[in-house]
Amino acid sequence: MNDVMRMLAAWALVHETADEGWKASVGRGKELTPGELDQSPEAFVDGLAALVAEEKEKLKASLANPARDTAAPREDLAVQLEAMRFELAELRGCIESLQASVDAIAARNKD
Amino acid sequence: MSARGRVIAGVVLRRLIATVWHTRFGLRRGQRRRRAVALQLRLACEELGPTFIKLGQLASVRPDVFAPETVFELERLRDRVPPVPLDAVRAILTAEFGASPDMVFASFEPQPVATASIAQVHAARLAKAYRTVAGATLPAGSRVAVKVVRPGIEATIQADLVVAQRWARRLERIPRIARLRPVALLEEFRGALASEVDLRNEGRIADRFARDFADDPLIVVPRVVWRHTTRRVLTTEFADGWTLDKLDDAHRSGIDAKRLATHGAEVFMRQVLMHGRYHADLHPANLMVTTDGRICYLDFGITGRTTPAQRIAIAQVLAATVYGDATRALYYSRLLGLEVTEQQAPAVHDTVAALMREHLGRGERPDIRGFALGFLGMLADFRISIPAGYGLLIKALVTVEGVAQAIYPDIDIVDSARPFATRLIAAQLARPERLQARVPAAMRAALVELLA
Repeated sequence: MNDVMRMLAAWALVHETADEGWKASVGRGKELTPGELDQSPEAFVDGLAALVAEEKEKLKASLANPARDTAAPREDLAVQLEAMRFELAELRGCIESLQASVDAIAARNKD
Repeated sequence: MSARGRVIAGVVLRRLIATVWHTRFGLRRGQRRRRAVALQLRLACEELGPTFIKLGQLASVRPDVFAPETVFELERLRDRVPPVPLDAVRAILTAEFGASPDMVFASFEPQPVATASIAQVHAARLAKAYRTVAGATLPAGSRVAVKVVRPGIEATIQADLVVAQRWARRLERIPRIARLRPVALLEEFRGALASEVDLRNEGRIADRFARDFADDPLIVVPRVVWRHTTRRVLTTEFADGWTLDKLDDAHRSGIDAKRLATHGAEVFMRQVLMHGRYHADLHPANLMVTTDGRICYLDFGITGRTTPAQRIAIAQVLAATVYGDATRALYYSRLLGLEVTEQQAPAVHDTVAALMREHLGRGERPDIRGFALGFLGMLADFRISIPAGYGLLIKALVTVEGVAQAIYPDIDIVDSARPFATRLIAAQLARPERLQARVPAAMRAALVELLA
């Protein structure tokens, strides 16, 4: 029984220590500016931890408020809409260019 | 043999004799010999005119085919052609639009603002407002650049290519030259030239670039006026400023040159690594610093593409290069198609590490050009074939260094690339699909370690 308790205590201690280390890493990462990331592997890991923590907060917020989660699909939709608008505008450009050539041929035929 | 064929033969013969002399009848070896050959090749292209200048420029972005000395010599090819007379330009515009330029535009400037072997550019003003593919509408009276293909250039190119093909077939019989596949290469260049002479292709690429950088306040890509664009005429917004070959200290004093140079290098990396579409012909005449201190991209004749898988590997090669990690650079270069055998790997690794120490090490200002020359030379020495995209990318990186230095001569390009490379690798490491694939194994390994 004692061994099991000790193992669980060790597990809790490892978890707690890792958590503290993680929080400290996130804290340091948030204070980094992009130029500092290259100074050492530790700074890089801190930067990565801060990125992950930021994403975790977003995930927590979306789990707490599922209604707001529709924002992501809406964003996707906006991107798709913008891409389609651009393609449509490209097509309009193509047609205008062709129209200019057709007008030129028609004008030459008139002469 | 046609008259043009005789002229070409004359120039080739003269340059061959000069090559034999400058290589001391072939007694010179290695780099000095290759440099002498490359110089004569560039001079021959310049003497032979537009088609060969363009062929040379296309060859200058192919380190996968030509020796590094040739590639770097050919990038110095410049068009030195007299301007087309105004009457001929007006005749082309009238034929293309069915009306004279005075009817099409509110005004048309008779003096060209730029002349090149394929086309020349005149400034004009829009008669009516125009809604571009992206961004705000151009109001009536907006200044535009009208690029007009030189009269007869398509016929000249066709005639020259016929002669060049004959030469290519003859050259293919020589074993040393046959490995360059001159006939197939010329066919490929013919396609590229045909695409460049149809200015609508350039317009489409320009619009795509404009979209890629629409939210970047420091980048300008002139938008296309499609209503006044045809196969032989390209009308775009006019950008006011200085091309990099004309940028001097007085101009630099009025702009934040260091910021602009660093941003220019980062923008190129964004093109390659995020958008997958990049300007592969960034010589100083194709890039401008505008009067309001922004970078303007011109002339989208030669562009490169990267696939999503290539982008990941290129980012890793880039990061490994700026951090001086030869092992990682080689590992990802092999993923990009560089065929290094297991026997060659240790020697190649040591050479790359030495080149990195010599050219990219901390201390003096890094020299990407020197590194690339050494790297490509090493690949040639080991007879390692270079994938086309990989070669184009190396060449483009060297050009970016040159361009950034033209804006701000003291820039440390490797130092500028580090923050971007770091952010990119961090973002790649944290990709959801990657985490999903790697986290279970990492958790298992952690548990094994804990329970050991």
